[in-house]
Amino acid sequence: MSDGMWAEKYRPQTLADIVNQVEIVSRLCHFVEVRNLPHLLFVGPAGVGKTTAILALARDLYGPQYRSFILELNASDERGIDVIREKVKSFARTAAIQGGVSFKILIMDEADSLTSAAQHALRRTMEIYTKTCRFCLIGNYSENIIEPIQSRCSIFRFGPLNEADMKRRIRTMAQKENVELLDEGLDAIYESSKGDLRKATNLLQAAAATKGGIVDDMAIYGVLGHVSPKKVREMIDLGLRGDFLGAREVLRSLLIDEGLAAEDILRMVYSEVLRLNVAEQWKVKLSDAIGEVDYRLTQGSRPEIQLSALLAKLVLAGEEMGR
Amino acid sequence: MSGSGQPWAARFMPRTVKEIVDNEVAIGEFIRWVKSWEKGPPEKRAAFLHGPPGVGKTTTVVAIANDFEFDLLEVNASDTRTGRRLNEVIGRAATQSLTVFGRRRMILLDELEGVSGREDEGGIAAIVSIIKETRSPVVLVATSATEGWEEKFGPLREISLQIEFGPIPFSDIVSRLRSMAKDVGVSVDDEAMELIAERSKGDMRSAVNDFEAVARGKQHVSAVDLDWLGERDRQAYTPEVLSRIFSAKTVREARQALSSAFITYDDLFEWINENLPLVLDDPADLDEGLEALARADIHEGRTKRTQEFRLLKYMFNEMTGGVAMSRHLSEGSVALKQVRSRLAGLGYLPSAFTISETPDGILVRPVRYLGNDWGRVNSSLKGLGGSWTRGEGFWVIPYFRPPQIVWRYRATWHSRRVRKSVSERVAAKCHISTAEAIRDVIPFIKVMIENEEMEDKIAGWLELKKSEIKWLRS
Repeated sequence: MSDGMWAEKYRPQTLADIVNQVEIVSRLCHFVEVRNLPHLLFVGPAGVGKTTAILALARDLYGPQYRSFILELNASDERGIDVIREKVKSFARTAAIQGGVSFKILIMDEADSLTSAAQHALRRTMEIYTKTCRFCLIGNYSENIIEPIQSRCSIFRFGPLNEADMKRRIRTMAQKENVELLDEGLDAIYESSKGDLRKATNLLQAAAATKGGIVDDMAIYGVLGHVSPKKVREMIDLGLRGDFLGAREVLRSLLIDEGLAAEDILRMVYSEVLRLNVAEQWKVKLSDAIGEVDYRLTQGSRPEIQLSALLAKLVLAGEEMGR
Repeated sequence: MSGSGQPWAARFMPRTVKEIVDNEVAIGEFIRWVKSWEKGPPEKRAAFLHGPPGVGKTTTVVAIANDFEFDLLEVNASDTRTGRRLNEVIGRAATQSLTVFGRRRMILLDELEGVSGREDEGGIAAIVSIIKETRSPVVLVATSATEGWEEKFGPLREISLQIEFGPIPFSDIVSRLRSMAKDVGVSVDDEAMELIAERSKGDMRSAVNDFEAVARGKQHVSAVDLDWLGERDRQAYTPEVLSRIFSAKTVREARQALSSAFITYDDLFEWINENLPLVLDDPADLDEGLEALARADIHEGRTKRTQEFRLLKYMFNEMTGGVAMSRHLSEGSVALKQVRSRLAGLGYLPSAFTISETPDGILVRPVRYLGNDWGRVNSSLKGLGGSWTRGEGFWVIPYFRPPQIVWRYRATWHSRRVRKSVSERVAAKCHISTAEAIRDVIPFIKVMIENEEMEDKIAGWLELKKSEIKWLRS
């Protein structure tokens, strides 16, 4: 049993353990009963049980040895569709005969991060290996998955956990771990995790680590202060104040020292910009500039230069605002 | 110890071919050719040794001449540029196979890349005729790093035996540096050793020079000592190229600067990126200039994706002409301002130093003896790339600095490696991508492991090494 992180320790092992997403779970249970399933497409926000559901389904289907019959790939960590195809090929080449099932399951997380050309290639691969392999594609938005793949999959839409389910789970974990969880703490966890159970669980565990077992709202905000990227705000402020070199220094430390992906940095910049205390028309202008950079990240090859160009726009905007 | 005053590159240079460990194939071929002279002049009377700098081309020739007891006539081709001079210096020697003392002779024409086919008319032709008539082995040595060298030496390559040298493998550079460190009695951290080897890019000479620069007179060397180590030969001319680009009046002029660079356009791009904000200090200019660089990046991305190399010229236009034409209101005095503000930040009045702009950079001379304060001024100015000139008593801060991003990647190499291995394990254990691990989970783990009990459990669960726990705690 994994003892390290509670998010893993308390991850439901079987479909029956999953308390929320009732509709989805009952349909997945049906697949287990008939011992067959279509290609699956799971969409929904982070931390709502997409990966948990497919892992639990696999365990129910194949038994405790289920790991031999699944392959987990994360599209954002694989180097291109050719590498993915090779992995699929060698995984799906041999058929599985286990518990009356004659196929394996390939789980492709972050499938919506694949370019549409890569998805078309993936679609052909899905067709070739349909007999020996079922695909479970996972992503945040179904719009980012090409129509031909969508039409070949059963689509399951996972919603965020509702307040009651979320709070029940967090409270149960706190009890099992002997953490004194105050109501304000639980409220703060729910407020700041917005239905993302992984984040909620990590918040609980980190707060329990800092506060000697008592988790109140201050403990939760304390953790949030540690994990939230203050540096992004600092970078924006430096830019708006005209200190380009200072802002670039922060950018480089985010990219290189902290290893954040350019897309992630840009996402944080975007949400910070919308919260800035500046005239609304500047938010529109800056949002437009961010949108341009977001697109250019897919076109160019040096994320640092594209983000630096955005910092120069912040410097210019800062100067014009000051006039 | 004898020879301890020499530069280490000379002191530790192999004297015999047995001491040279790399490029075995090339050296074997060269030895066979030298031996073939025992039966009179062979079909190819010249050997053409080429390869990147610092991989032992000249060293090999000298060592073999020594081993086989040749009298070596060494001519530096770049010092002897015209055909007439070449004929004067080596023409006669080439027609006699023995020296007046009866020893066999070998002629070495080094640094051949210094002979320009067009400008130094007759240079290449003179060498060709020397080779045709020679009765002694002629060895040509050229660094093949420069652009267009193959065309330039076409006629020479046809009539000579081609022997190619490759870069020295990383591990051989490391082990060589280790044995040197032992000889000179310096202890060196593994990380520092590997950084020196890595930055040398297979160039043993620059590795040895770098090592000497940081290790001479020290008992211990760690990675921080490598700060601001110059990038040596490869970048010697780059500041000049940059200043030509930034001051170009026409796109053509800016483009020409690019083709005169000794570094790849990739590296030059990073140099421009690093220094552009030092030159374009007006916000509108800065925006325009970075927009040009961003467009250059996009043209490059398209070139790579489509493999249509004709698209690359648009990148070059943007990164040179586009940047040059962005300069409207900028004064280009950021470097000077930075120096002033750093000194002010340390609490000095402007009158405490004389600051002057010279072609080599900004010269900062303390008016009074600084005493114990020297150290903090030095480390502050070092942050701008400045260096103290010992005998003269001033700092020089260059106008252009090498790409910090490259340096940063190298300096954080160790911690990035740790981060990669931790994030891969977190990703596998938590069924997420490494990017998500870095963004969403590791920040929480960092908080969790402040608690000792949890640290034990998490460390066990993720099989964390001591260095990885240290990284999470930092």
